[in-house]
Amino acid sequence: MSTRMERGGVVTQSLAQIGACGLFLLTLLAAVPKSMRHGRETLRQLWFVGAMSLTIIMTCGLFVGMVLGLQLYDVLSIFGGTSATGTVVAIAIYRELGPVVTALLFAGRAGTSMTAEIGLMRATDQLDAMEMMAVDPLAYVVAPRFLAGVIALPLLTAVFCAMGVFGGHLVGVSWLGIDNGTFWSNMTATVDVWKDIVNGVVLKSFAFGIVVSLIAVFQGYTTPPTSEGVAYATTRTVVASSIAILALDFVLTSFLI
Amino acid sequence: MTQRKSYAVGTGLFIVLGFAALAYLATQTTSVANSGQGDSYTVESHFANIGQLKARAPVKVAGVRVGSVQSISLVPGKEEAKVVLSIDKRYADIPDDSVATIFTSGLLGDQYVGLQFGHSKKALAEGGAIGFTRPAQQLEEMLSRFFGGGSAADRLGGTYNVTGHFTNVGALVPGAAVKLSGVPIGSVQSVVIQPGHLDAFVTLAIDKRYNQIPDDSAAAVFTSGLIGSQYVAIQPGGSPDMLKDGDEMVLTQSALQLEDLIGKFLVSGSPGDKKTDPNTDAGNGAKPESSAGKH
Repeated sequence: MSTRMERGGVVTQSLAQIGACGLFLLTLLAAVPKSMRHGRETLRQLWFVGAMSLTIIMTCGLFVGMVLGLQLYDVLSIFGGTSATGTVVAIAIYRELGPVVTALLFAGRAGTSMTAEIGLMRATDQLDAMEMMAVDPLAYVVAPRFLAGVIALPLLTAVFCAMGVFGGHLVGVSWLGIDNGTFWSNMTATVDVWKDIVNGVVLKSFAFGIVVSLIAVFQGYTTPPTSEGVAYATTRTVVASSIAILALDFVLTSFLI
Repeated sequence: MTQRKSYAVGTGLFIVLGFAALAYLATQTTSVANSGQGDSYTVESHFANIGQLKARAPVKVAGVRVGSVQSISLVPGKEEAKVVLSIDKRYADIPDDSVATIFTSGLLGDQYVGLQFGHSKKALAEGGAIGFTRPAQQLEEMLSRFFGGGSAADRLGGTYNVTGHFTNVGALVPGAAVKLSGVPIGSVQSVVIQPGHLDAFVTLAIDKRYNQIPDDSAAAVFTSGLIGSQYVAIQPGGSPDMLKDGDEMVLTQSALQLEDLIGKFLVSGSPGDKKTDPNTDAGNGAKPESSAGKH
């Protein structure tokens, strides 16, 4: 398959990649029920891609919220609207920054390691060995990682958003002196549970979780079985995930708004 | 086995933390936090205009949130909006003659219903009604009240032209309104300098319906508000003869300079006063000429 993809221009090559990725998703989904027998493996992957990512997600969420609070306070003070800082921090984080930044971080932190791990298994013929032993590598190796990514990303996004609002509150209320009651009451008056939380935090992060995890396991599974191929596949995971996240974000937003 | 247990516990903690964060976001930082805070009672109020008021907008007393707007509907057969307010049971001592007003929070903020207490001994109760309401202030209405210029009346019945010479027309342009007692009765047709003259020659087109204007009436160039557009005000005289097509208005008063206008605005407060108070008019009459001389 790889030799066929090396021929042709960039466009043909990308189209072939997308097509192969789509087909891979179908076979992967077919393997998901079988992977339920390896629930423990999914749990272990959830620990690795989810719980181990908490530190970076929480730190980044805190700083994103803090810088938003600072910038918005500065800009809104021109219009005498600093009381809207909390509202705008919350809406910006829920709708865009939370899902997108978390997905980008997740692609860098967890997506790459998924690709590298599966790719190395491919390069060292472990996947072939499994097939020889009549163990479906899709069900035992790939599907648990994919499932873990899809489950972990929405949860990480929720944590990121909560930390972001906390960061905005820290800067806006504790440092810059916006009234605590104004901050919260303006936020609760404007932020909508469907438009902002469900459409933003939940739906978007779920879609990003599918896309990032799929790209990561696909790149790992189809990597050329060389050390160079694994390195290249890892890079491609980050590049393709980032583009896919940002493009999908626009498409989703235009449908959801 | 112990290692396996530790990551299982950690993963469980992660999942719990994630869902807790989501629950916190959904319930504490959104409008969900405002609803369902204990029992509430509903009262009804009718507004002439609700502006941008939306369901779930806050109801406030002295700036403190006491409830929310439950529903907004049109009173059948009337040009009136029925707004049902849901007020928290904790605030059960709101007098039943309180006034409900639709306010805007800040310049760009959302609208909310503000309750101003009356003096009645009886309190609002479930199913009650607030009799006194003040509608939302539409920005356009406010601006047009402030700037006053408005547009010229439509001239379905045809117009007749009268002319006048002004020392200074200020920023008067063709199309500006001509007003009598504040009512638009026509428009300025042209503003030119005639050959051989040094003053502005203004032609006014006045609606034929308004043909009872004494021919010794004065025409004055006024500014609506502080920075509004300029218009020509007709101040009726006492002559038994009426203005006819082609007549010239001899008594004219030039445009006020902004400096004078600001001074007058600061002293007399309302810009509307000048049209009704003859003393102020007399005082103004002298001012523009002196300031025009300075320029």
